[in-house]
Amino acid sequence: MTILGTAFGMVFYLLQAVSGESGYAQNGEFEDAELDDYSFSCYSQLEVDGTQHLLTCAFDDPDVNSTNLEFEICGALLNVKCLTFDKLQEMYFIKTKKFLLIGDSEIHVKLGGKNITSKKLNIVKIVKPEAPFDIRVIYREGANDFLVTFNTSHSQKKYVKELMHEVAYRQEKNENDWMCVNLSSTKLTLLQRKLQPDAMYEIKVRSIPNANYFQGFWSEWSPTFHFRTPEITGGKMDPVLLTISILSFFSVALMVILACALWKKRIKPIVWPSLPDHKKTLEQLCKKPKKNLNVSFNPESFLDCQIHKVDGIQARDEAESFLQDTSPSQLDESEKQRLGGGMQGPIWPSEHAAITPKAFRGDSPFGCLAGSISMCEALVQPSSRSPDCREGCKNGPHVYQGLLLGPGTTNSTVPTPSTFQSGILTLNPTAQGQPMLTPLGSSQEEAYVTMSSFYQNQ
Amino acid sequence: MFHVSFRYIFGIPPLILVLLPVASSDCDIEGKDGREYQHVLMISINDLLDTMIKNRTNCPNNEPKVLKKHACDDNKEGMFLYRAARKLKQFVKMNNSEDFNLHLSRVSQGTLQLLNCTPKEDNKSVKEQRKQKSLCSLGILLQKIKTCWNKILRGSKEH
Repeated sequence: MTILGTAFGMVFYLLQAVSGESGYAQNGEFEDAELDDYSFSCYSQLEVDGTQHLLTCAFDDPDVNSTNLEFEICGALLNVKCLTFDKLQEMYFIKTKKFLLIGDSEIHVKLGGKNITSKKLNIVKIVKPEAPFDIRVIYREGANDFLVTFNTSHSQKKYVKELMHEVAYRQEKNENDWMCVNLSSTKLTLLQRKLQPDAMYEIKVRSIPNANYFQGFWSEWSPTFHFRTPEITGGKMDPVLLTISILSFFSVALMVILACALWKKRIKPIVWPSLPDHKKTLEQLCKKPKKNLNVSFNPESFLDCQIHKVDGIQARDEAESFLQDTSPSQLDESEKQRLGGGMQGPIWPSEHAAITPKAFRGDSPFGCLAGSISMCEALVQPSSRSPDCREGCKNGPHVYQGLLLGPGTTNSTVPTPSTFQSGILTLNPTAQGQPMLTPLGSSQEEAYVTMSSFYQNQ
Repeated sequence: MFHVSFRYIFGIPPLILVLLPVASSDCDIEGKDGREYQHVLMISINDLLDTMIKNRTNCPNNEPKVLKKHACDDNKEGMFLYRAARKLKQFVKMNNSEDFNLHLSRVSQGTLQLLNCTPKEDNKSVKEQRKQKSLCSLGILLQKIKTCWNKILRGSKEH
């Protein structure tokens, strides 16, 4: 039993040892450990030297002992079956014109004539273009952009003519912050507003086949080009434009200020003329011929004139006595006008014209009644205070010297009745500001002056 | 009984063998999308024609008989290209520059690579091919190859 068990054990051990030898083959083609060591990769460069093409292969593992190893390519060759690679340090390459460029080829790794590993590939699918060169950046001030141009040797080639380029740029201080742009032409425009002002940039470009028929890998990067973006100087405005804009700004500001300042006095009356005030208009009319005339509806301007209140009853009595000397006549519209127009003789109002203070308020148009005449005389009495007042008093006729009663009476000359021109009379002290206007004759201005002089403001 | 089986053994099979080439279909064309032709073959054909234009002497207007024999007829484009590509090989051995010969080889070999033909080789046609080795014939042949390829590509685009 023990012998049997031992025998079985040995058999199992041998079986395990035999099965542990993985990759055992007659030709050694299926040795996995060695396959991993001899894996390689290749790339092709077409028309790299005139019409000659270049195929370069290298082991993926740099530690591989490639002392006696050879590379061979077979298939898709012109007039030959296979070609052997040349070796340069750890790289294997072949430079020839004899690539068919159609169909697959097979690359063998040989050790002492024996095939170690093989790889099937198509030369047109592993194309690595040559690196672009002569990259330049030009700043265009008018367009506010940067024109990037570069050159590639493939523009002169017959086979690999169509490439895709990748331009990468970054600010020098920002490492690993590359901006990339893909293009098929050899010109690129970078907008200034997308770049930082007054900064240093670096830019480079690489290429890859356009994947139409020829495919492959990215080329090496071109040499880096450095450029500086300009500073922002307020947009660098044109000096003339700047001057014009400043002047126009100040002009507009000045116009606005003037408009605000002169709005009420000058502009608004023109744009929105107010309705003429009849009082002011009349004042203006009166002022024209005689500028020194105190023409105003404002009673305050006559404060310095002595205005005496006339007692209505006393004035009537005195008027009646006065009328006994002269022919009485009805006081009507024409008489009013004559009164206003500077009549010669005194006109005495009739009895009904002796209006009571109450009746005076707006009823009677008569300027000078019996009492009123007296009032007129009183009111037109010249005053020594203001020359205007004096003058007005001078113009106004004064008939009843005797009626000059009340305070304020001064020693002044009394004008003759012929020069009576009063038109405004106010008897009721409460009826201030209610002038009674009698229609005047030709000298309406004088009548208004006289009426103003009766304007009381107590 | 024996003579009957002998007839069947030695009679019918040769007949089949003789008839097979006649009944066989035309070549299959792999590069119908035109990429191989446009990016490789056409470049070589144009290079050859440009070189021949520079060096060409007076060529006769009439077409050689051998070339007249084969045409790029409908449904026979593959066979025409196959025969034309084989003819091109004959021109390679002439005293040409290396690039010229390489272009010729590329057109010939590349066309054959894209075709899947197995016709029977005709000894008579080979002799005739050897006679026609002048550059004039080569130029005409290349033009025909170009025309036939364009016809194939046009046909494939329409479909």
